[in-house]
Amino acid sequence: MTYFLLKMTATLCATLLRSQGWLPLIQSVRHGSKAVTRHKKPVHILKQKLLAVTQYIPPGRAVAPGAYPSKIKHVLEDNGFTLLLKKDLKKVFEECKMIAVVQKNGSSAEEMVVLKHRLFKHGIRVKFFPNQVTRSFLSDSVYCNMAPLFIGPTVLFVSKEPKVKEMLSALKASPQMTLLGACIDNTLLSAQGIVGYSKLPSVTVIQGELVSGLTMLTSCTASMLQRHPAHLSALLQQYIKQQSLGDGVEAAPKAEEAT
Amino acid sequence: MKQTKCHFGVYSVALYNMISFVKAAVGGLTGTCRAHGHQLAPLQSCLKVCAAGLKTYQITPDYSNVVLPEKPKLKFLNKVPNLKKAKKESKKLRDIQGPARAANSFTSGQYAIVALGGGYLHWGHLEMMRLTINRKIDARTTFARWRINAPYKPITRKGLGQRMGGGKGAIDHYVTPVRYGRLIVELGGKVELGEIEHILTEVAKKLPFPAKVMSREGLEEMQRKQKEMEENNLNPWTFKRIVEGNMLGIRKVLSPFDLRNHGRFTGKFHFPERV
Repeated sequence: MTYFLLKMTATLCATLLRSQGWLPLIQSVRHGSKAVTRHKKPVHILKQKLLAVTQYIPPGRAVAPGAYPSKIKHVLEDNGFTLLLKKDLKKVFEECKMIAVVQKNGSSAEEMVVLKHRLFKHGIRVKFFPNQVTRSFLSDSVYCNMAPLFIGPTVLFVSKEPKVKEMLSALKASPQMTLLGACIDNTLLSAQGIVGYSKLPSVTVIQGELVSGLTMLTSCTASMLQRHPAHLSALLQQYIKQQSLGDGVEAAPKAEEAT
Repeated sequence: MKQTKCHFGVYSVALYNMISFVKAAVGGLTGTCRAHGHQLAPLQSCLKVCAAGLKTYQITPDYSNVVLPEKPKLKFLNKVPNLKKAKKESKKLRDIQGPARAANSFTSGQYAIVALGGGYLHWGHLEMMRLTINRKIDARTTFARWRINAPYKPITRKGLGQRMGGGKGAIDHYVTPVRYGRLIVELGGKVELGEIEHILTEVAKKLPFPAKVMSREGLEEMQRKQKEMEENNLNPWTFKRIVEGNMLGIRKVLSPFDLRNHGRFTGKFHFPERV
Protein backbone atom coordinates (compact mmCIF):
# COMPACT_ATOMS: atom_id res chain seq x y z
CA MET A 1 0.00 0.00 0.00
CA THR A 2 2.67 2.45 1.09
CA TYR A 3 4.75 1.49 -1.92
CA PHE A 4 1.85 2.26 -4.21
CA LEU A 5 1.35 5.70 -2.65
CA LEU A 6 5.03 6.53 -3.00
CA LYS A 7 4.93 5.57 -6.63
CA MET A 8 1.92 7.81 -7.21
CA THR A 9 3.53 10.86 -5.65
CA ALA A 10 6.72 10.28 -7.66
CA THR A 11 4.81 10.23 -10.95
CA LEU A 12 2.77 13.32 -9.93
CA CYS A 13 5.94 15.25 -9.13
CA ALA A 14 7.51 14.23 -12.41
CA THR A 15 4.55 15.42 -14.46
CA LEU A 16 4.31 18.72 -12.58
CA LEU A 17 7.98 19.49 -13.05
CA ARG A 18 7.86 18.62 -16.72
CA SER A 19 4.88 20.92 -17.36
CA GLN A 20 6.42 23.96 -15.61
CA GLY A 21 9.93 23.62 -17.02
CA TRP A 22 13.04 23.78 -14.91
CA LEU A 23 14.60 27.07 -13.95
CA PRO A 24 17.99 27.39 -12.26
CA LEU A 25 17.58 28.71 -8.75
CA ILE A 26 20.75 30.84 -8.73
CA GLN A 27 21.94 32.84 -11.73
CA SER A 28 25.58 33.79 -11.53
CA VAL A 29 26.18 37.26 -13.16
CA ARG A 30 29.59 38.85 -13.12
CA HIS A 31 29.72 42.54 -12.30
CA GLY A 32 33.43 43.00 -11.89
CA SER A 33 36.11 44.59 -14.09
CA LYS A 34 34.44 47.93 -14.63
CA ALA A 35 37.08 50.18 -13.24
CA VAL A 36 39.32 50.33 -16.28
CA THR A 37 39.33 53.81 -17.74
CA ARG A 38 42.34 53.53 -19.99
CA HIS A 39 40.50 52.32 -23.04
CA LYS A 40 37.02 52.63 -24.42
CA LYS A 41 34.63 49.95 -23.36
CA PRO A 42 33.26 47.57 -25.98
CA VAL A 43 30.02 49.01 -27.30
CA HIS A 44 26.80 47.06 -27.75
CA ILE A 45 26.05 46.37 -31.40
CA LEU A 46 22.72 48.19 -31.24
CA LYS A 47 24.39 51.23 -29.74
CA GLN A 48 27.07 51.04 -32.43
CA LYS A 49 24.37 51.10 -35.07
CA LEU A 50 22.64 53.98 -33.34
CA LEU A 51 25.87 55.96 -33.23
CA ALA A 52 26.52 55.23 -36.90
CA VAL A 53 23.04 56.35 -37.89
CA THR A 54 23.09 59.55 -35.90
CA GLN A 55 26.39 60.92 -37.13
CA TYR A 56 26.68 64.62 -37.77
CA ILE A 57 26.23 65.62 -41.40
CA PRO A 58 27.56 69.10 -42.11
CA PRO A 59 25.53 71.42 -44.29
CA GLY A 60 26.54 71.52 -47.94
CA ARG A 61 28.89 74.07 -49.31
CA ALA A 62 27.51 77.53 -49.35
CA VAL A 63 26.68 79.05 -52.72
CA ALA A 64 29.58 81.04 -54.07
CA PRO A 65 29.11 84.77 -53.75
CA GLY A 66 27.91 86.23 -57.02
CA ALA A 67 26.56 82.93 -58.35
CA TYR A 68 23.04 84.31 -58.18
CA PRO A 69 22.03 87.92 -58.65
CA SER A 70 21.42 89.60 -55.35
CA LYS A 71 17.81 90.09 -54.38
CA ILE A 72 18.46 93.48 -52.92
CA LYS A 73 19.07 95.92 -55.73
CA HIS A 74 21.94 98.23 -55.11
CA VAL A 75 20.77 101.79 -55.33
CA LEU A 76 23.64 103.68 -56.89
CA GLU A 77 24.26 106.95 -55.20
CA ASP A 78 25.17 109.39 -57.93
CA ASN A 79 28.17 111.39 -57.00
CA GLY A 80 29.12 114.59 -58.74
CA PHE A 81 31.31 112.90 -61.30
CA THR A 82 28.67 110.41 -62.46
CA LEU A 83 26.16 113.24 -62.69
CA LEU A 84 28.59 115.16 -64.87
CA LEU A 85 29.14 112.12 -67.06
CA LYS A 86 25.41 111.62 -67.37
CA LYS A 87 24.94 115.21 -68.40
CA ASP A 88 27.63 114.73 -71.00
CA LEU A 89 25.93 111.58 -72.28
CA LYS A 90 22.62 113.34 -72.51
CA LYS A 91 24.22 116.11 -74.53
CA VAL A 92 25.81 113.54 -76.85
CA PHE A 93 22.51 111.75 -77.42
CA GLU A 94 20.73 115.02 -78.08
CA GLU A 95 23.24 116.55 -80.45
CA CYS A 96 24.59 113.65 -82.42
CA LYS A 97 22.77 111.84 -85.17
CA MET A 98 25.11 108.88 -85.27
CA ILE A 99 26.08 107.02 -82.11
CA ALA A 100 27.90 103.76 -82.81
CA VAL A 101 28.78 101.30 -80.06
CA VAL A 102 32.09 99.56 -80.65
CA GLN A 103 33.76 96.92 -78.52
CA LYS A 104 37.45 97.43 -77.87
CA ASN A 105 39.32 94.14 -77.77
CA GLY A 106 42.86 94.69 -76.63
CA SER A 107 43.92 97.39 -79.01
CA SER A 108 46.98 99.27 -77.94
CA ALA A 109 47.02 102.96 -77.17
CA GLU A 110 48.97 103.71 -80.33
CA GLU A 111 46.42 102.02 -82.59
CA MET A 112 43.70 103.83 -80.72
CA VAL A 113 45.36 107.17 -81.35
CA VAL A 114 45.71 106.37 -85.05
CA LEU A 115 42.07 105.33 -85.27
CA LYS A 116 40.97 108.45 -83.41
CA HIS A 117 42.91 110.59 -85.81
CA ARG A 118 41.46 108.82 -88.83
CA LEU A 119 37.94 109.24 -87.50
CA PHE A 120 38.49 112.82 -86.50
CA LYS A 121 39.31 113.67 -90.13
CA HIS A 122 35.66 112.93 -90.92
CA GLY A 123 34.39 114.71 -87.83
CA ILE A 124 33.70 111.52 -85.89
CA ARG A 125 34.72 111.63 -82.26
CA VAL A 126 35.60 108.75 -79.95
CA LYS A 127 34.08 108.91 -76.48
CA PHE A 128 34.63 106.76 -73.44
CA PHE A 129 31.99 106.38 -70.75
CA PRO A 130 31.87 103.91 -67.87
CA ASN A 131 29.36 101.15 -68.61
CA GLN A 132 27.55 101.58 -65.31
CA VAL A 133 26.93 105.22 -65.99
CA THR A 134 25.81 104.53 -69.54
CA ARG A 135 23.45 101.78 -68.49
CA SER A 136 21.92 103.83 -65.71
CA PHE A 137 21.45 106.69 -68.17
CA LEU A 138 19.93 104.44 -70.85
CA SER A 139 17.51 102.76 -68.45
CA ASP A 140 15.78 106.10 -67.90
CA SER A 141 15.85 107.32 -71.49
CA VAL A 142 14.06 106.25 -74.69
CA TYR A 143 17.21 104.50 -75.87
CA CYS A 144 16.81 101.76 -73.25
CA ASN A 145 16.98 99.06 -75.96
CA MET A 146 20.63 99.94 -76.49
CA ALA A 147 21.55 98.91 -72.96
CA PRO A 148 22.53 95.27 -73.77
CA LEU A 149 25.27 96.55 -76.10
CA PHE A 150 27.23 98.02 -73.21
CA ILE A 151 29.08 94.96 -71.94
CA GLY A 152 32.83 94.84 -71.62
CA PRO A 153 35.13 97.57 -72.85
CA THR A 154 32.95 99.68 -75.09
CA VAL A 155 33.65 102.86 -76.98
CA LEU A 156 31.21 105.33 -78.50
CA PHE A 157 31.81 106.76 -81.99
CA VAL A 158 29.86 109.91 -82.20
CA SER A 159 29.27 112.39 -85.00
CA LYS A 160 26.80 115.11 -85.75
CA GLU A 161 26.29 113.88 -89.31
CA PRO A 162 25.65 110.21 -90.05
CA LYS A 163 28.98 109.34 -91.71
CA VAL A 164 28.67 105.60 -91.73
CA LYS A 165 30.79 104.87 -94.78
CA GLU A 166 33.77 106.73 -93.43
CA MET A 167 33.44 105.07 -90.08
CA LEU A 168 33.27 101.59 -91.61
CA SER A 169 36.30 102.25 -93.78
CA ALA A 170 38.24 103.45 -90.76
CA LEU A 171 37.18 100.41 -88.76
CA LYS A 172 38.31 98.05 -91.50
CA ALA A 173 41.90 99.01 -90.79
CA SER A 174 41.64 98.04 -87.11
CA PRO A 175 40.37 94.49 -86.63
CA GLN A 176 40.42 94.72 -82.82
CA MET A 177 37.43 97.00 -82.85
CA THR A 178 34.11 95.21 -83.27
CA LEU A 179 31.06 97.16 -84.28
CA LEU A 180 28.08 96.12 -82.13
CA GLY A 181 25.32 98.44 -83.20
CA ALA A 182 24.40 102.02 -83.66
CA CYS A 183 21.69 104.57 -83.25
CA ILE A 184 21.51 106.58 -86.48
CA ASP A 185 18.88 109.26 -86.93
CA ASN A 186 16.96 107.91 -83.92
CA THR A 187 16.91 104.43 -85.43
CA LEU A 188 18.56 101.50 -83.76
CA LEU A 189 20.60 99.48 -86.23
CA SER A 190 22.48 96.21 -85.87
CA ALA A 191 25.95 95.72 -87.32
CA GLN A 192 24.51 94.32 -90.57
CA GLY A 193 21.96 97.10 -90.63
CA ILE A 194 24.77 99.62 -90.50
CA VAL A 195 26.50 97.97 -93.44
CA GLY A 196 23.23 98.07 -95.37
CA TYR A 197 22.78 101.70 -94.43
CA SER A 198 26.25 102.54 -95.67
CA LYS A 199 25.46 101.10 -99.11
CA LEU A 200 22.55 103.51 -99.53
CA PRO A 201 23.33 106.71 -101.40
CA SER A 202 23.30 109.85 -99.38
CA VAL A 203 20.13 111.77 -98.63
CA THR A 204 21.03 114.69 -100.84
CA VAL A 205 21.59 112.42 -103.85
CA ILE A 206 18.21 110.77 -103.38
CA GLN A 207 16.54 114.09 -102.88
CA GLY A 208 18.22 115.34 -106.07
CA GLU A 209 17.00 112.30 -108.00
CA LEU A 210 13.48 112.84 -106.73
CA VAL A 211 13.54 116.51 -107.60
CA SER A 212 14.97 115.81 -111.03
CA GLY A 213 12.34 113.17 -111.63
CA LEU A 214 9.62 115.59 -110.68
CA THR A 215 11.03 118.49 -112.67
CA MET A 216 11.57 116.29 -115.74
CA LEU A 217 7.93 116.30 -116.73
CA THR A 218 7.46 120.00 -116.31
CA SER A 219 10.66 120.72 -118.21
CA CYS A 220 9.48 118.45 -121.02
CA THR A 221 6.19 120.32 -121.32
CA ALA A 222 8.00 123.62 -121.13
CA SER A 223 10.39 122.63 -123.91
CA MET A 224 7.51 121.43 -126.01
CA LEU A 225 5.70 124.67 -125.54
CA GLN A 226 8.73 126.51 -126.78
CA ARG A 227 8.68 124.63 -130.13
CA HIS A 228 7.05 125.91 -133.27
CA PRO A 229 3.22 126.03 -133.00
CA ALA A 230 2.83 124.09 -136.30
CA HIS A 231 4.88 121.24 -134.87
CA LEU A 232 2.75 121.30 -131.74
CA SER A 233 -0.50 121.21 -133.64
CA ALA A 234 0.78 118.30 -135.74
CA LEU A 235 1.63 116.43 -132.57
CA LEU A 236 -1.75 117.10 -131.04
CA GLN A 237 -3.49 115.93 -134.19
CA GLN A 238 -1.49 112.75 -134.14
CA TYR A 239 -2.37 112.27 -130.46
CA ILE A 240 -6.08 112.70 -131.12
CA LYS A 241 -5.79 110.19 -133.96
CA GLN A 242 -4.19 107.64 -131.72
CA GLN A 243 -6.80 108.26 -129.00
CA SER A 244 -9.56 107.68 -131.50
CA LEU A 245 -7.94 104.42 -132.54
CA GLY A 246 -8.29 103.37 -128.89
CA ASP A 247 -4.72 102.49 -128.28
CA GLY A 248 -3.81 105.54 -126.26
CA VAL A 249 -1.69 103.63 -123.79
CA GLU A 250 0.98 102.79 -126.28
CA ALA A 251 0.63 106.04 -128.09
CA ALA A 252 1.70 108.22 -125.17
CA PRO A 253 5.28 106.96 -124.96
CA LYS A 254 5.53 107.09 -128.71
CA ALA A 255 4.55 110.68 -128.58
CA GLU A 256 7.18 111.29 -126.06
CA GLU A 257 9.75 109.52 -128.16
CA ALA A 258 8.79 111.65 -131.09
CA THR A 259 9.51 114.77 -129.11
CA MET B 1 83.58 127.10 -61.76
CA LYS B 2 84.40 123.78 -63.35
CA GLN B 3 86.25 122.67 -60.27
CA THR B 4 83.32 123.43 -57.95
CA LYS B 5 80.95 121.54 -60.18
CA CYS B 6 83.22 118.52 -60.10
CA HIS B 7 83.45 118.84 -56.37
CA PHE B 8 79.70 118.89 -56.03
CA GLY B 9 79.42 115.74 -58.15
CA VAL B 10 81.84 113.85 -55.93
CA TYR B 11 79.98 114.99 -52.86
CA SER B 12 76.64 113.82 -54.24
CA VAL B 13 78.06 110.38 -55.04
CA ALA B 14 79.40 110.11 -51.52
CA LEU B 15 76.05 111.14 -50.09
CA TYR B 16 74.31 108.54 -52.22
CA ASN B 17 76.63 105.84 -50.90
CA MET B 18 75.94 106.92 -47.37
CA ILE B 19 72.21 106.80 -47.95
CA SER B 20 72.41 103.27 -49.30
CA PHE B 21 74.50 102.25 -46.32
CA VAL B 22 71.95 103.73 -43.96
CA LYS B 23 69.20 101.90 -45.81
CA ALA B 24 71.00 98.61 -45.26
CA ALA B 25 71.66 99.45 -41.65
CA VAL B 26 68.12 100.42 -40.72
CA GLY B 27 66.99 96.78 -40.42
CA GLY B 28 69.69 95.14 -38.36
CA LEU B 29 71.94 97.76 -36.88
CA THR B 30 69.54 99.96 -34.99
CA GLY B 31 71.53 99.33 -31.83
CA THR B 32 74.77 100.61 -33.33
CA CYS B 33 72.93 103.57 -34.79
CA ARG B 34 71.75 104.42 -31.31
CA ALA B 35 75.27 104.03 -29.98
CA HIS B 36 76.74 106.37 -32.59
CA GLY B 37 73.78 108.69 -32.64
CA HIS B 38 75.82 111.86 -32.46
CA GLN B 39 77.80 110.84 -35.55
CA LEU B 40 74.72 110.08 -37.62
CA ALA B 41 72.87 113.19 -36.53
CA PRO B 42 73.31 115.08 -39.82
CA LEU B 43 71.96 112.02 -41.67
CA GLN B 44 68.68 111.95 -39.77
CA SER B 45 66.91 113.88 -42.50
CA CYS B 46 68.12 111.37 -45.11
CA LEU B 47 66.93 108.53 -42.91
CA LYS B 48 63.45 109.98 -42.79
CA VAL B 49 63.34 110.13 -46.57
CA CYS B 50 64.48 106.51 -46.91
CA ALA B 51 62.07 105.07 -44.39
CA ALA B 52 59.00 106.91 -45.62
CA GLY B 53 56.02 104.54 -45.71
CA LEU B 54 58.04 101.45 -44.91
CA LYS B 55 56.02 100.11 -42.01
CA THR B 56 52.90 100.92 -40.09
CA TYR B 57 52.83 99.53 -36.59
CA GLN B 58 49.73 98.01 -35.03
CA ILE B 59 48.09 99.73 -32.12
CA THR B 60 49.17 98.09 -28.88
CA PRO B 61 46.39 96.46 -26.84
CA ASP B 62 44.86 98.52 -24.09
CA TYR B 63 45.64 97.14 -20.64
CA SER B 64 44.41 100.14 -18.68
CA ASN B 65 41.62 98.22 -16.97
CA VAL B 66 43.74 95.20 -16.02
CA VAL B 67 44.28 94.88 -12.28
CA LEU B 68 47.06 92.58 -11.14
CA PRO B 69 46.45 90.72 -7.87
CA GLU B 70 48.87 91.04 -4.98
CA LYS B 71 50.18 87.51 -5.34
CA PRO B 72 50.42 86.81 -9.05
CA LYS B 73 51.97 83.34 -8.81
CA LEU B 74 50.36 79.94 -8.38
CA LYS B 75 49.75 78.91 -4.81
CA PHE B 76 51.29 75.75 -3.33
CA LEU B 77 48.71 72.98 -3.09
CA ASN B 78 48.76 70.44 -0.27
CA LYS B 79 49.68 66.92 -1.15
CA VAL B 80 47.34 65.48 1.47
CA PRO B 81 44.11 67.12 2.66
CA ASN B 82 43.98 68.14 6.29
CA LEU B 83 41.38 65.74 7.63
CA LYS B 84 40.77 64.51 11.11
CA LYS B 85 40.01 61.04 9.95
CA ALA B 86 40.92 59.88 6.47
CA LYS B 87 38.25 57.57 5.04
CA LYS B 88 38.69 55.16 2.20
CA GLU B 89 36.35 55.75 -0.70
CA SER B 90 35.14 53.64 -3.57
CA LYS B 91 36.45 54.36 -7.07
CA LYS B 92 33.53 56.58 -8.12
CA LEU B 93 34.58 56.85 -11.74
CA ARG B 94 31.60 59.11 -12.34
CA ASP B 95 33.65 62.07 -11.19
CA ILE B 96 35.66 62.06 -14.43
CA GLN B 97 32.83 61.13 -16.81
CA GLY B 98 30.86 63.60 -18.88
CA PRO B 99 31.21 67.37 -19.12
CA ALA B 100 32.40 69.57 -16.27
CA ARG B 101 29.73 71.30 -14.28
CA ALA B 102 32.06 73.63 -12.40
CA ALA B 103 34.93 75.89 -13.45
CA ASN B 104 34.09 75.57 -17.15
CA SER B 105 34.24 79.29 -17.89
CA PHE B 106 36.68 82.13 -17.31
CA THR B 107 36.57 84.30 -14.20
CA SER B 108 39.39 86.83 -13.99
CA GLY B 109 42.00 85.63 -16.46
CA GLN B 110 42.28 85.62 -20.23
CA TYR B 111 44.04 82.38 -21.10
CA ALA B 112 43.72 78.90 -19.67
CA ILE B 113 44.53 75.25 -20.04
CA VAL B 114 41.26 73.49 -20.83
CA ALA B 115 40.79 69.74 -20.31
CA LEU B 116 39.44 67.98 -23.40
CA GLY B 117 38.86 64.70 -21.59
CA GLY B 118 38.46 63.36 -18.08
CA GLY B 119 41.25 62.23 -15.83
CA TYR B 120 42.91 62.35 -12.45
CA LEU B 121 45.61 64.86 -11.55
CA HIS B 122 48.20 63.80 -9.00
CA TRP B 123 50.06 66.11 -6.72
CA GLY B 124 53.08 65.59 -8.98
CA HIS B 125 51.22 67.06 -11.94
CA LEU B 126 50.21 70.04 -9.89
CA GLU B 127 53.77 70.64 -8.72
CA MET B 128 55.03 70.36 -12.26
CA MET B 129 52.52 72.94 -13.45
CA ARG B 130 53.17 75.25 -10.54
CA LEU B 131 56.92 75.20 -10.87
CA THR B 132 56.97 75.56 -14.65
CA ILE B 133 54.47 78.36 -14.82
CA ASN B 134 55.84 80.28 -11.83
CA ARG B 135 59.34 80.08 -13.20
CA LYS B 136 58.50 81.18 -16.71
CA ILE B 137 55.87 83.88 -16.38
CA ASP B 138 56.80 87.48 -15.79
CA ALA B 139 55.21 88.21 -12.41
CA ARG B 140 55.17 91.96 -13.01
CA THR B 141 52.81 91.66 -15.96
CA THR B 142 51.15 88.27 -15.61
CA PHE B 143 49.21 86.44 -12.96
CA ALA B 144 48.13 82.82 -12.69
CA ARG B 145 45.27 81.19 -10.78
CA TRP B 146 44.35 77.60 -10.01
CA ARG B 147 40.91 76.54 -11.16
CA ILE B 148 41.14 73.10 -9.52
CA ASN B 149 41.21 72.05 -5.90
CA ALA B 150 44.07 70.40 -4.11
CA PRO B 151 43.98 66.57 -4.30
CA TYR B 152 41.08 65.35 -2.18
CA LYS B 153 40.11 61.95 -3.52
CA PRO B 154 41.89 59.08 -1.71
CA ILE B 155 43.32 56.25 -3.78
CA THR B 156 44.10 53.03 -1.95
CA ARG B 157 46.85 50.51 -2.72
CA LYS B 158 47.91 47.29 -1.20
CA GLY B 159 51.47 47.01 -0.06
CA LEU B 160 54.10 45.34 -2.22
CA GLY B 161 54.30 41.58 -1.96
CA GLN B 162 51.04 41.29 -0.11
CA ARG B 163 48.69 38.43 -0.76
CA MET B 164 45.24 39.19 -2.12
CA GLY B 165 42.37 39.39 0.32
CA GLY B 166 42.35 40.78 3.78
CA GLY B 167 40.23 43.79 2.94
CA LYS B 168 40.84 47.11 1.25
CA GLY B 169 44.33 48.52 1.21
CA ALA B 170 45.59 51.64 2.91
CA ILE B 171 45.29 55.12 1.39
CA ASP B 172 48.26 55.62 -0.89
CA HIS B 173 47.78 59.09 -2.30
CA TYR B 174 45.18 61.69 -3.20
CA VAL B 175 44.10 62.91 -6.62
CA THR B 176 41.97 65.64 -8.17
CA PRO B 177 39.35 64.42 -10.62
CA VAL B 178 38.93 66.59 -13.74
CA ARG B 179 36.08 66.40 -16.25
CA TYR B 180 35.94 67.45 -19.90
CA GLY B 181 35.85 71.22 -20.39
CA ARG B 182 37.27 72.18 -17.03
CA LEU B 183 39.82 74.96 -16.82
CA ILE B 184 42.95 73.83 -14.96
CA VAL B 185 44.99 77.01 -14.70
CA GLU B 186 43.96 80.51 -15.65
CA LEU B 187 46.40 83.21 -16.69
CA GLY B 188 45.85 86.88 -17.23
CA GLY B 189 47.37 90.33 -16.98
CA LYS B 190 49.10 92.60 -19.40
CA VAL B 191 50.13 89.87 -21.86
CA GLU B 192 48.99 88.48 -25.16
CA LEU B 193 48.41 84.84 -25.94
CA GLY B 194 51.56 84.58 -28.03
CA GLU B 195 53.76 85.48 -25.08
CA ILE B 196 52.60 82.67 -22.79
CA GLU B 197 51.28 80.07 -25.20
CA HIS B 198 54.53 78.12 -25.32
CA ILE B 199 54.64 77.84 -21.52
CA LEU B 200 51.08 76.59 -21.30
CA THR B 201 51.40 74.15 -24.20
CA GLU B 202 54.52 72.72 -22.64
CA VAL B 203 52.53 72.09 -19.46
CA ALA B 204 49.39 70.90 -21.21
CA LYS B 205 51.33 68.20 -23.05
CA LYS B 206 52.34 66.57 -19.77
CA LEU B 207 48.84 66.25 -18.32
CA PRO B 208 47.21 62.81 -18.12
CA PHE B 209 44.33 63.82 -20.42
CA PRO B 210 44.11 65.76 -23.71
CA ALA B 211 44.35 69.44 -22.87
CA LYS B 212 44.55 72.61 -24.92
CA VAL B 213 45.54 76.21 -24.37
CA MET B 214 42.65 78.52 -25.04
CA SER B 215 41.89 82.17 -24.74
CA ARG B 216 38.58 83.55 -23.59
CA GLU B 217 37.55 84.14 -27.21
CA GLY B 218 38.80 80.72 -28.27
CA LEU B 219 36.62 78.96 -25.73
CA GLU B 220 33.60 81.01 -26.75
CA GLU B 221 34.33 80.19 -30.37
CA MET B 222 34.48 76.47 -29.56
CA GLN B 223 31.15 76.59 -27.74
CA ARG B 224 29.60 78.59 -30.57
CA LYS B 225 30.84 76.07 -33.12
CA GLN B 226 29.32 73.21 -31.13
CA LYS B 227 26.01 75.04 -31.00
CA GLU B 228 26.17 75.79 -34.71
CA MET B 229 26.82 72.13 -35.46
CA GLU B 230 23.74 71.18 -33.45
CA GLU B 231 21.60 73.68 -35.30
CA ASN B 232 22.89 73.03 -38.81
CA ASN B 233 22.93 69.24 -38.68
CA LEU B 234 21.57 67.86 -41.93
CA ASN B 235 20.94 64.45 -40.37
CA PRO B 236 17.33 64.38 -39.23
CA TRP B 237 17.99 61.36 -37.01
CA THR B 238 19.74 62.74 -33.98
CA PHE B 239 20.77 60.70 -30.97
CA LYS B 240 18.55 62.79 -28.74
CA ARG B 241 15.45 62.28 -30.86
CA ILE B 242 15.85 58.52 -31.14
CA VAL B 243 16.65 58.04 -27.49
CA GLU B 244 13.90 60.28 -26.18
CA GLY B 245 11.38 58.47 -28.35
CA ASN B 246 12.87 55.09 -27.30
CA MET B 247 12.66 54.00 -30.94
CA LEU B 248 12.90 50.23 -31.44
CA GLY B 249 13.39 49.90 -27.68
CA ILE B 250 16.94 51.28 -27.92
CA ARG B 251 16.93 52.33 -24.27
CA LYS B 252 17.55 48.68 -23.48
CA VAL B 253 21.22 49.11 -24.35
CA LEU B 254 21.66 52.71 -23.18
CA SER B 255 22.44 54.11 -19.78
CA PRO B 256 21.20 57.29 -18.09
CA PHE B 257 24.63 58.67 -18.87
CA ASP B 258 23.84 58.41 -22.60
CA LEU B 259 20.45 60.01 -22.02
CA ARG B 260 22.16 63.01 -20.50
CA ASN B 261 25.04 63.37 -22.94
CA HIS B 262 23.44 62.21 -26.20
CA GLY B 263 26.31 59.98 -27.22
CA ARG B 264 28.95 62.70 -27.06
CA PHE B 265 30.84 60.89 -24.30
CA THR B 266 31.86 57.38 -23.46
CA GLY B 267 33.21 57.44 -19.95
CA LYS B 268 35.92 60.05 -19.76
CA PHE B 269 36.34 60.27 -23.53
CA HIS B 270 34.72 63.02 -25.55
CA PHE B 271 33.86 62.91 -29.25
CA PRO B 272 34.22 66.41 -30.64
CA GLU B 273 32.68 65.55 -34.00
CA ARG B 274 29.37 64.29 -32.55
CA VAL B 275 26.42 66.50 -31.74
